[in-house]
Amino acid sequence: MLKMVVGIKWVPNTTSVNIDPKTGTLIREGIPSVVNPHDLEAVEMALRLKDEYGGKVTVITMSPPSAIAGLEHVLGMGADEAILVSDRAFAGADTLATSYVLAKVIERLDYDLIIFGQETIDSSTAHVGAQVASWLDLPYVYYVTHAELRDRKLVVRRSLENAHETYELELPALISVAMHTLHPRRVKVSNKLRVKLENPIKTWSNQVLGLDPECIGLRGSPTALSKIEMVPKVPRKNEVFRGDAREAAKWLLEKLMEEGLLKLG
Amino acid sequence: MVCKEWPEINLEEYEGVWVAAFADDEGKEIEEASLQLIGAARELADKLNTHVGVALIGSGVRKLAEEPIYYGADRVYVVDDERLSTYYPTVWGRVLYELASKYKPEVFLIPATLRGRELAPYVANSFRTGITADLTSMDVNERGDVVLIRPPFGGFMLAHIVTRNRRPVMGSVRPNIFPTPERDESRRGEIHEERVEIPPPKGIRLLSREPILKKEEIPIEKADVIVAGGKGIGSKEGFELLKRLADLLGGVIAGSRKAVDAGWIDHDKQVGQTGKAVKPNLYIAVAISGAAQHVFGIREAKRVVAINIDPDAPIFEHADYGIVGDYREVVPALIELLEEMKGKKGGGD
Ligand SMILES: Cc1cc2nc3c(=O)[nH]c(=O)nc-3n(C[C@H](O)[C@H](O)[C@H](O)COP(=O)(O)OP(=O)(O)OC[C@H]3O[C@@H](n4cnc5c(N)ncnc54)[C@H](O)[C@@H]3O)c2cc1C
Ligand SMILES: Nc1ncnc2c1ncn2[C@@H]1O[C@H](COP(=O)(O)O)[C@@H](O)[C@H]1O
Repeated sequence: MLKMVVGIKWVPNTTSVNIDPKTGTLIREGIPSVVNPHDLEAVEMALRLKDEYGGKVTVITMSPPSAIAGLEHVLGMGADEAILVSDRAFAGADTLATSYVLAKVIERLDYDLIIFGQETIDSSTAHVGAQVASWLDLPYVYYVTHAELRDRKLVVRRSLENAHETYELELPALISVAMHTLHPRRVKVSNKLRVKLENPIKTWSNQVLGLDPECIGLRGSPTALSKIEMVPKVPRKNEVFRGDAREAAKWLLEKLMEEGLLKLG
Repeated sequence: MVCKEWPEINLEEYEGVWVAAFADDEGKEIEEASLQLIGAARELADKLNTHVGVALIGSGVRKLAEEPIYYGADRVYVVDDERLSTYYPTVWGRVLYELASKYKPEVFLIPATLRGRELAPYVANSFRTGITADLTSMDVNERGDVVLIRPPFGGFMLAHIVTRNRRPVMGSVRPNIFPTPERDESRRGEIHEERVEIPPPKGIRLLSREPILKKEEIPIEKADVIVAGGKGIGSKEGFELLKRLADLLGGVIAGSRKAVDAGWIDHDKQVGQTGKAVKPNLYIAVAISGAAQHVFGIREAKRVVAINIDPDAPIFEHADYGIVGDYREVVPALIELLEEMKGKKGGGD
């Protein structure tokens, strides 16, 4: 029986996300949102551990209420319960303030293992996991590709740039799941029915948590956006050839030859 | 009023630009990502009129302590301890925190290798300070504040991020975002051998670590020539054609995110914001449209070639030499010519 908490984020799903230059926050209007795809892999890992050893999966997200749709999705995959952590006071949080609130939520839960996604597609910082581990003083490992229990300890594997590693973690612990490693399962109709009947989503505002307003949201965030600008372009020659493929190939190889960029064996 | 969970600090006390440096597994040299950061730190420190400090931690790293100086550091703080022979994020994070707490740098930068990405937020959190991930440049504004700059989401915009009321200002930087500085053995600096409390690893144990056998294959971040394919390649077989071209040029193949998502090439060969930044002499983008997130990864490429069927593809704006055409004709023509050239040179290899 493994009690797991999975953190997911509800993120805008588009390549054309913009920032409001005045407030420095994301313009979310009109952009469809999804559960951060890498967090679905975290949910999948939790569900596989549950299938194997039995247990309970609680999904948490700090977000405006629109994230309920995302929580319904992961409950449909098979998570047991969900907590929407939502309050205007949490808005505008950087990763320090986000991880602080998430840690305070998790502290109130009964848990053995916390599972996060590798990173979010909207900010891709990969910060929040390590920060939660720091607040809760837990052992943690990132980029996990496989996890199993051995004598109530969690054995995890991961691959870094130059090595494969295996770690043993005492519980409670925190891991993040390497992206592109697991295929998240589909939503099941029977689970969706359960969600309708039992309504396993709770909402926690700061009235529940009672956190100091100085430690959360915009005020609890040391980092601030001071300016947004377009990315300066790296200057390039921009010479273009149109025409016959063989002529084009000749043209290019001559250019590369002139510049000493062709090293033939 | 500030958050009571944050220890009180005096901003005035914080000075210097620090970099965390790590050695490779054998302890033979300092990782290139760390050296690149020293170069970037040097530039920022000159703007701030301050020093560059390097926190060099690990087991057996004392013998490498001169190296950061040759690459631009003024002071090196070494923690060389047997207990650091195994890497644990919480232990190494604690050591970096202790060291930086003692000397109070204004800025603290950590290379965003996979380990660094795991470690950096932990260190930042110990200070109860903010951290900017994957920054691509740094500056000092009119008020004298350090500004860390990163491309959020789209990759087509840059966010300037300041750190209010907390120190150090922390950031992580991906490999190959900054060039490796020239090594200059005539540079001089101070080396401080440090002792800090090293906590035992709590609740974590390394069971095994096996080096990934680098088949003779060069990783894309180290390659001199890269032939990268995108969605327009259309199939795994198409990538085999690219491989033939890459082999003739003495290079390796890579891909865009869409090519990776399609399963034509592995994720560790993805170029771009969520993949790797590369710095070849020659980057050939084949059937890649040139999305901001992709070209983000080729800023340090010396020459960029684009082959695309669409004359309006944005990649042409980011290329030195562009060929408008179907890659299924252009790439075989290149292969043929190269083979002819090789043949003439003396019967091939
Ligand atoms: C947060 C975020 C992070 C991202 N990170 C990355 C990243 O790290 N790396 C990355 O690459 N992308 C990244 N992307 C995705 C990026 O926005 C683009 O979707 C992607 O780069 C497009 O890949 P592509 O150029 O291969 O495909 P497309 O944009 O579909 O372009 C295919 C191109 O092939 C050309 N073509 C088609 N057929 C032929 C032919 N026969 N011969 C020649 N040309 C042909 C077409 O004209 C077209 O230009 C990211 C997106 C987001 C939102
Ligand atoms: N607002 C949030 N609520 C719950 N979990 C989150 C939130 N933001 C980030 N996470 C988790 O932290 C991981 C890393 O996020 P990031 O640091 O934003 O890249 C994500 O993959 C999620 O698992």
